[in-house]
Amino acid sequence: MSEIRSVTDSELVEPAKVHGARRRSEWVEILHNAWGFNRTRVGVGIFAFILLLAALGPFFAPHSPTEFVAAPFSGPSAGTVLGVDYIGHDVLSRVLWGGRTVLGLAIAATIIGLVLGVSFGLIAGYARRWLDETVMRLLDVLLAFPQIVLVLLLISLLGPKLWLIVLMVGLSHAPRIARVSRAAALEVVQRDFVRAAEALGEIKPRILFFEVLPNITSPLLVEFGLRLTYSIGLIAALSFLGFGLQPPAADWGLMINENRIGITVQPWAVVLPVSLIAILTIGTNLIADGLGRALIGIERESGGPS
Amino acid sequence: MSDEIETRARKAARRSLTRRDFLKGVGATGAGLAFGPLLASCGGEESTTTSTAAQGGGGGPKTGGSLKVGIVGGSAKDTLDPHLATTEPDIALNTQLYDSLMGWDQDYVLKNRLAEEVSANPEATVWTVRLRPDLSWHDGKPVTSDDVVYTFQRIVDPANPLSGAASLGGLKPENVIKVDERTVEFRLDIPNAILTEGFAYRQNMLIPVGFDPTKPVGCGPFKLGEFKPGQQATFSPFDGFWEDGPYVADLTIIEFADEAARVNAFLSDTVHMISQLPRAQVTVVEGSAGHKVLRASTGAWQPFTMRIDEKPYSDVRVRQAFRLIVDRQQMLEQAYSGYGWVANDMYSPFDPGFPKDLPQREQDLEKAKSLLKEAGYADLTVELVTSDAVGGSAVSAAQVFAEQAKGAGVTVNLNKVDPGVFYGDQYLTWPFAQDFWYTRNYLAQAAAGTLPTAPYNETHWKDEEWQKLVEEAYRTPDDAKRNELVAAAATIEYERGGLIVWAFNDQIDAYNEKIGGVKPDKSGTPLTGFRFHKVHFA
Repeated sequence: MSEIRSVTDSELVEPAKVHGARRRSEWVEILHNAWGFNRTRVGVGIFAFILLLAALGPFFAPHSPTEFVAAPFSGPSAGTVLGVDYIGHDVLSRVLWGGRTVLGLAIAATIIGLVLGVSFGLIAGYARRWLDETVMRLLDVLLAFPQIVLVLLLISLLGPKLWLIVLMVGLSHAPRIARVSRAAALEVVQRDFVRAAEALGEIKPRILFFEVLPNITSPLLVEFGLRLTYSIGLIAALSFLGFGLQPPAADWGLMINENRIGITVQPWAVVLPVSLIAILTIGTNLIADGLGRALIGIERESGGPS
Repeated sequence: MSDEIETRARKAARRSLTRRDFLKGVGATGAGLAFGPLLASCGGEESTTTSTAAQGGGGGPKTGGSLKVGIVGGSAKDTLDPHLATTEPDIALNTQLYDSLMGWDQDYVLKNRLAEEVSANPEATVWTVRLRPDLSWHDGKPVTSDDVVYTFQRIVDPANPLSGAASLGGLKPENVIKVDERTVEFRLDIPNAILTEGFAYRQNMLIPVGFDPTKPVGCGPFKLGEFKPGQQATFSPFDGFWEDGPYVADLTIIEFADEAARVNAFLSDTVHMISQLPRAQVTVVEGSAGHKVLRASTGAWQPFTMRIDEKPYSDVRVRQAFRLIVDRQQMLEQAYSGYGWVANDMYSPFDPGFPKDLPQREQDLEKAKSLLKEAGYADLTVELVTSDAVGGSAVSAAQVFAEQAKGAGVTVNLNKVDPGVFYGDQYLTWPFAQDFWYTRNYLAQAAAGTLPTAPYNETHWKDEEWQKLVEEAYRTPDDAKRNELVAAAATIEYERGGLIVWAFNDQIDAYNEKIGGVKPDKSGTPLTGFRFHKVHFA
């Protein structure tokens, strides 16, 4: 028995470590390759710009976001470069304050979606048989609903609380991420190092999260970028529909809703948050696209695999 | 007030609270009456309404043309039963089909409508109504006193009192008595000097004996064509209408759920008139060729409501401090874009008893701080419940209040809730919230919103001294004495009430300059009081 154990340690565990190290270098390689695309660099630049705007903007805001500085829907003037909104708040100040929520909530929702989706996907991919079928068919039910409809349905049942919105958006991502995770895990779980870990008697969660997960990071990276794009759109849409922050909070999605009726007299209050949300989603989408291309080995800016 | 009135009011409240109404405010626009005009009208003053007072058109009334009107969207619950009307679409539709014994004109003066003469005995316990001669229903049958008796007995049926019952306080079904074919007597157990306000209530419009709301027959200016609840209704003129008009060949009322769609339909000339023009669109309409804004100064209001039986508002100093927090002019400018006029913590500004001489309350943050400190609430944090359902600018007003309160060291957290939540089970229980009301005179408003028995007493206002004054005013037929009592009661609310009445808002609608006969309506009811029979193409 002791002889067998000795053989196992030297022959099976060590290759697994080697394999893991190779995989890690692989996703670093993918990041490196992705950075080679212009689209990725543009995407990162946009994302970094919006991130900085959201994080540092409040420090440069000329007014408090809740201060009344002029008559409603007044146009640009000396004290209000971009005019004021429907109630007399400075548009520039609210724009500078309003990015934190969209970005913060979207990132939080995406992380929640990732954690849930990866967990379900790994379990289904590893367990296979009836558990795989059960988990995936249940997720398919959720997948049948358009994301916004699913989120609105749950929020209308449970109430429009901010934490709930984040959770629901994350939950709506979970089935999609689970499918990707499962597909990637199916191939990995059949590798020798996983079987070796099983033979060593490692507990299943450890196998899933320390053996399988590190080896499916690359597709998950792409998926994270893609889901972040959807999260931004969903969170902004929910704010627009009045399910997000409460007035008088500054939030880009809320700003669009509050000011849309005055778009013909004071377009900045709508055009600016719309543009920023659009640019942000383009940025995250470009990053995801670049990562995706690097993952499947596309080396050119356009076209299929070379 | 009698127990009976109380019971009716409560029943009315229970029935209607889930359908918080346009009419609590507007539908009731016909219900807020002036005592002076009321008794003056008893001599049978003719209606002076005219359809030639075109502001937008020019020239005399021209007949013909298809008038299309866009209003706020309703739902599948739209009703053509005038006694159940609650929403703006309900009122707009029912005003075409039916008419009332009395009504407010556009200058907020009470006039006879179907009634030729309304009189009361000196004690205001017996009211006699004589119908105009030659009135007829849409089906050609004459309007008789049987129909009047049927109408009011239906409204005040103790088993199922309808929303207009509260406006007819003291009336029992068996006390509506036919005298002859055109005369009806209303006998009251207790005096009611403002019964005429009930006659003017738009939810008390006349219906014929055997009325069937699915096949509505009225005596209003238009007959029903097609009706699609929540969408639109078409009407044709009723030739037998007693007043001048209608002038148009047909009328279509279209309901728009989205205000932007309503405005676009108007600016593209798909509809000729729209109600509730968003304030942000006023300059757009004014700058658009062929389109005009109809702005009416009204007595409508959106108060902040503090429950006087709930801490911290149970302390009068807190209520006084909150009233001193408000910079009314700023709130008017920011929340209403200036479309309105500053109020003084009292409602019913058109009431002849309204105490105009009380000093205008101004913002005084230092005094507010001092009062709060005295009351033991130096660093106060409160929740203000608001909702879009209160009105387009209610949430804005709440934001302005929250910002102004910072100056007095009060943190106001806004809780914006869905319309269904705001006017759901918790309505009338919010410690600090908002509400909306349309133009009414003082006693009618008290019956609806401030008496302990009122169906919508948001502040849970209960003050014995005040209540005695109000009840005495109800029983006082003499105008001068009643006005004094009203002024005294209003002063008490000014000093220690639970309402923050910060402004009266303007009613803003829009119409095509091709349309004549359009006139601002002080009651707050949109579009010339929805009296489209006065409207014509220029």
